[in-house]
Amino acid sequence: MGGNAMQPLANITPLKSVPRAGAIEVRSVGQVFKTSTQDVVALSEVSLEVKPGRFVVIVGPSGCGKSTLLMMMAGLRQQTSGTVTINGAPILKPDPDRVGVVFQEASLFPWLTAEENVEFPLALRGVAKSERRAKAQDALRLVGLDGFGKRHPHELSGGMKQRVSIARGLVQDPPVLLMDEPFAALDEQTRMTMGDELLRIWAATGKTVVFVTHSLTEAVYLADEVVVMSPRPGRMVDHLQVPLARPRTYEMLSGDAFGRLRDRIWRHIKKSA
Amino acid sequence: MTARALRRLIVMGLIVLWEVLPRSGAIPELFLPSLSSTLLSGWNEAAEYRQALAVTLSEVAISFAFACGGGILFGAVVGSLPRPRILIMPMISSLYAVPLVILYPVFTVWFGIGPESKIAFAAIYGFLPTMLSTAAGIQTIDPQLLLAARSMGATLSQRLVRVIIPAAIPTVLSGLRVGGALVIVGVVVSEMLISSAGIGYLISRYRTILDTPHVFAGVLLVLAMAVAFNAAIKWIERRCAIWRTGTQGGQRAAREITASPLQPAT
Amino acid sequence: MALGIKLARVAIIITIFALWEALSRSGIVNPRLLPAASDTLAMLGQLLQRASVRNDLAVTASEVLTAFALAVPFGALVGFLIAENRYFAEVVKPLLFFAFSIPKSIFLPMFILVFGVGFAQKVGFGFFSTIFIVIMSTTTAVEQVKVEYLTVARSYGATSAQTALRVYLPSMLPVLLEALRISMIFNLTGVILAEMYASRDGIGHQIASWGENFQMKQLLAGVVMIATIAIAFNEGIRWVETRCSHWRT
Repeated sequence: MGGNAMQPLANITPLKSVPRAGAIEVRSVGQVFKTSTQDVVALSEVSLEVKPGRFVVIVGPSGCGKSTLLMMMAGLRQQTSGTVTINGAPILKPDPDRVGVVFQEASLFPWLTAEENVEFPLALRGVAKSERRAKAQDALRLVGLDGFGKRHPHELSGGMKQRVSIARGLVQDPPVLLMDEPFAALDEQTRMTMGDELLRIWAATGKTVVFVTHSLTEAVYLADEVVVMSPRPGRMVDHLQVPLARPRTYEMLSGDAFGRLRDRIWRHIKKSA
Repeated sequence: MTARALRRLIVMGLIVLWEVLPRSGAIPELFLPSLSSTLLSGWNEAAEYRQALAVTLSEVAISFAFACGGGILFGAVVGSLPRPRILIMPMISSLYAVPLVILYPVFTVWFGIGPESKIAFAAIYGFLPTMLSTAAGIQTIDPQLLLAARSMGATLSQRLVRVIIPAAIPTVLSGLRVGGALVIVGVVVSEMLISSAGIGYLISRYRTILDTPHVFAGVLLVLAMAVAFNAAIKWIERRCAIWRTGTQGGQRAAREITASPLQPAT
Repeated sequence: MALGIKLARVAIIITIFALWEALSRSGIVNPRLLPAASDTLAMLGQLLQRASVRNDLAVTASEVLTAFALAVPFGALVGFLIAENRYFAEVVKPLLFFAFSIPKSIFLPMFILVFGVGFAQKVGFGFFSTIFIVIMSTTTAVEQVKVEYLTVARSYGATSAQTALRVYLPSMLPVLLEALRISMIFNLTGVILAEMYASRDGIGHQIASWGENFQMKQLLAGVVMIATIAIAFNEGIRWVETRCSHWRT
């Protein structure tokens, strides 16, 4: 279980005292894959505005294009039509200054230690060793992995690997953190703990977070806003606000408000199945 | 008794039998000379064996350099370009079925019976596994790692140096282990077939005069060479053990390469 | 697409032969060292007509098949026994792996010393080159039968004969075919090497003597012939393998 590495909240210092958050604007974005026989519409006319500092969860069944949309925000895939801008400027290629990405499998480099993995994006741009190390230390402390820097990924539990991955996403202090089903491979308990941890990190840093999942509970539990998508063609079918108070607690999961929100999302998903 | 202890016992038993059976006459000394007489006859002709070993080792070293260089280069190209890979890989693995030893007479006609023909033959012998596993190593790199690197703004050359090469190292190493073993076999076999120097030549020459202890001394020397080479590569592999354990793709690839009987060490 | 790839492969082979032909015909390479491809293929046709060559092929084939027929059942039995007993497997496997990884060819003189030069020596060496790979692949094949399948079979009350027939055999079949294919490669290499090293007949012996007498046309024709036979066998088994591949998960 990854939770045993948790640090008491008091020990955590945010990366920077002034939170830096980003605004994302997705305007009528479409994506068409051409195959030899036909054109497949993966995304159709998706528009979405994410205000700075918000925690937005995109949820939907597989094939609804939620990951594709996220990859466009990350600059890892180009849309066929429409625009994606972050802080006013279009995203045409990966821009680690504006966006950090956390993937489903932690995708840490197995030959590097946790620390070196977190330093990796800094090393790519030739940041000096001492500065790199200091920033990596800060980021690891932020995710509650102080003292685990010298370990290799195979010596870390699934939850801890995802913490390293989050630290790597945050180490350059980008205004936006994109997360592609980051907890999908974790067991239920670790997943709950990691959700709380993520919310704590989000609160401490004030980033804009876009989080993709197919778990309805996770979506409602984490989000300020939930975007529901539906497949064939991939499109947005709902965009709802989550009026639950923060910090979120385990008790809310069995509350009426929580249930109503989850039901509403479920009805969309059932319809598209 | 632990498996390990029993295994040691078996090995020791075999060594003792090697000494006792020929001595007692249960096996004619012509078929199998006792261990002590083998070692002794090797020791008596130490200078000759040393000279032969030097010849063989130099041929092995040069062939290994060719086999590895060519194998890694060609494997990297084929592994990273999907079109040539789909086209060529099945053809290359069909080539695996051909007993390459039939090429050696061709090389002796082309290059004479000196070291050149042996180097050419052994290099080709070791080339295939090195190439195949390098290609597999590159091909099985976890695409998530490359995507992650790209999301952090890595350029093509940074991806090559910082992701592709380190990720491919374990599979390339196992290819080198198999390739190196085959290079040793290739050199020794070609020396045994037609040659005028090297350990293989010594083995063959002593065989024709039915001097079995000297034949076995040569056999032991080749065995020692193969074992030493294997141990050296294993040592390097252990030092890079961390590479292996990481991604699922890498683990799967490493398992496939080591498990697949890519090693016609005839 | 698949057709395109096949055509491209054929084109590659034709290109190689064309290059061979051109190099020799143009005189860039001495035609005595590299006779033209067309001449070599014509020579191959002639060789196949010759009674002596046919006889050599028959000798080699009988050696290969005998060694194969001895090594496969014996190796499969030993491999199965090893895989069945965990303790025994733990003891023997590293030894086997070692035996598998050492060069076999250096023991070739021993076979000549024991059996003399002849059928027994070549079959013996073919057997020796094949047996370890058969044992190892059988062990792997047995061990990779999924425990869940066995558990399911047992939970429905399958007898051990039923388990062997309905679980082990079908799930091992693709692996066993692969093992057969690779064993044959080892076997053929072993027999041909033994023939080239010391023999009075067999196609390997013939190739070695063509080489010694600088008869390049015959030598290359022989190489093409053996390569074609080996590849044809290999592809044949592979074809069967792909037909069974739906078993594999």
